[in-house]
Amino acid sequence: MKVVTGVVGNDIHVVANRLIDLSLRARGFDVFNLGVNTYLEEFFDAAVETGADVILISSLNGEAEGWGREVRAIKSRYKTLDDIIMMIGGNLVVGSGNAEDIEPRYKNYGFDIVCHQIDLNTGLDMLEEFIKERNNP
Amino acid sequence: MSQNVDKQPEQAGNKLFIDVGSTYFKVSTPTSIEQHFRDFNKTILDDLMHKCGSTVDQFAKEDIYICSSANGGLSTLLIGITNSFSIKYATNIAFNSGINIIDTVLLQNIEEYSIPSDLIDVVIIVGGTDSHGNIFNDSLYNYVQQLNYSNIVYVGTQQDAARVQENIPGLVVLPNIIDDRLHIVEEHLKEYLTNLYQQDIEGKEDIKHLYEKTANQIFSTPYIVNKALPLIDASFTVANPFILLDIGGATTDVHYSKDLVDENIVTENEYDRLVFKKLGVYKSRQSLIFAAKNNEFVYELLMHLKVTENIFNEHDEKATKILMQLAIFLVLCKMSHYRKAYITLKLLSINSIVFTGGITKVLSVAEVEDIIAFFYKKILTSDHKPTAILDTNYDIWTLGAKEKNLCR
Repeated sequence: MKVVTGVVGNDIHVVANRLIDLSLRARGFDVFNLGVNTYLEEFFDAAVETGADVILISSLNGEAEGWGREVRAIKSRYKTLDDIIMMIGGNLVVGSGNAEDIEPRYKNYGFDIVCHQIDLNTGLDMLEEFIKERNNP
Repeated sequence: MSQNVDKQPEQAGNKLFIDVGSTYFKVSTPTSIEQHFRDFNKTILDDLMHKCGSTVDQFAKEDIYICSSANGGLSTLLIGITNSFSIKYATNIAFNSGINIIDTVLLQNIEEYSIPSDLIDVVIIVGGTDSHGNIFNDSLYNYVQQLNYSNIVYVGTQQDAARVQENIPGLVVLPNIIDDRLHIVEEHLKEYLTNLYQQDIEGKEDIKHLYEKTANQIFSTPYIVNKALPLIDASFTVANPFILLDIGGATTDVHYSKDLVDENIVTENEYDRLVFKKLGVYKSRQSLIFAAKNNEFVYELLMHLKVTENIFNEHDEKATKILMQLAIFLVLCKMSHYRKAYITLKLLSINSIVFTGGITKVLSVAEVEDIIAFFYKKILTSDHKPTAILDTNYDIWTLGAKEKNLCR
């Protein structure tokens, strides 16, 4: 299964990005890592070029808050991405916030899986679980 | 119209360099540079020999080197699947090969695009990594069938190559320009396009006759200029990073250092090239005026230059001067966040702007710097003032031609 990953917006948290890349590969995913400072359009364009099944966006400094709002509008411009799994993880707000408020907000933005301040392996378990459920409803 | 500039004999060696542009041709001997306005009622060879025959005849065929941009380069239509990868990568390779892009088509919306009526020199189809397939379908074949083109090349996913080739007669298949890490792979398409451009230059009736005077290959001028950029310090005091603007009669070429872009393209080139096909002051005069009229800041610029828009209807020396100043402004706009075209350069980081081409014969440094200052103030709201350097003696072209000559 192919995953496009990267850090959205003006965010250079490269260590987390590398860890996500390594962890995804260790779980058998085919990873296309766009690195840090990635525009939202580039995630979708990369998914089109690679035929990816999942877009996994990470964000550590609250950049996702601004970019997340654009997800539905930008995704709607693409004719082949209706079934793509949208996942986001990291520190998803500026300052502090609780997951109960943040998760529905990001789901409303168009994400299927939202991991606010959840450790990486738990987040990737959630992804695998989501894929399993989707494949065997 | 001609102009002679004295040069030191040791600067150019014992060679004759000739550059044939759309508006002027330049002839550089070890001791001088001549520039002549072209007589469009004559072939290039006749015109050249009429104006510089005695100079040309002093050199052996082996010592004469010619480059040309007279035909404005090949025209290309790109069909890709995303703007951030396939279209962007193919655009970069095309520009660096001296090719001009007339339009780009996004595959998913291909049915909404109108069919270009002009003959297209080369159509490039691109998209997908090799691990992805079934991207191209009947909508592509139907669109391509309606095009009028001379060459067509496929540089997309290898999974689809055979099927696309079956459906498009005459299709040339080259390795994918996108690798499995979504990085650009330039060499195959670049070599193909450069060779096509070369064949085009050699095949043009006008240019073909020039082989009567030279025993060496005739190269494209943008290629020669690009060769000169790493050596530019030899002739100018240029503070890096810099951009080079070649504002000619038909097109405007921009050569820029890769340090000036934040892009997802990682290539081995030190400098990239960008071309604005319909931005020039003679052959492309009307499209330049059209672009100017659509730029809201141009009227303010005209006021700043103390003229009105009636200048667009005039054809005297002053009008040419104003058009050249407008061309500088419009090119800078196209490379900024305002009126972005293909790429945005970090213009606030630029320390020098080098100008070459016909513009250097018409404008003074002060007139050029005035426009640069206006642009930075109005568009970038900054007092930043990069130094303007005018390549009045065509040293850059001579430098590139010499470099190419030495490499051979």
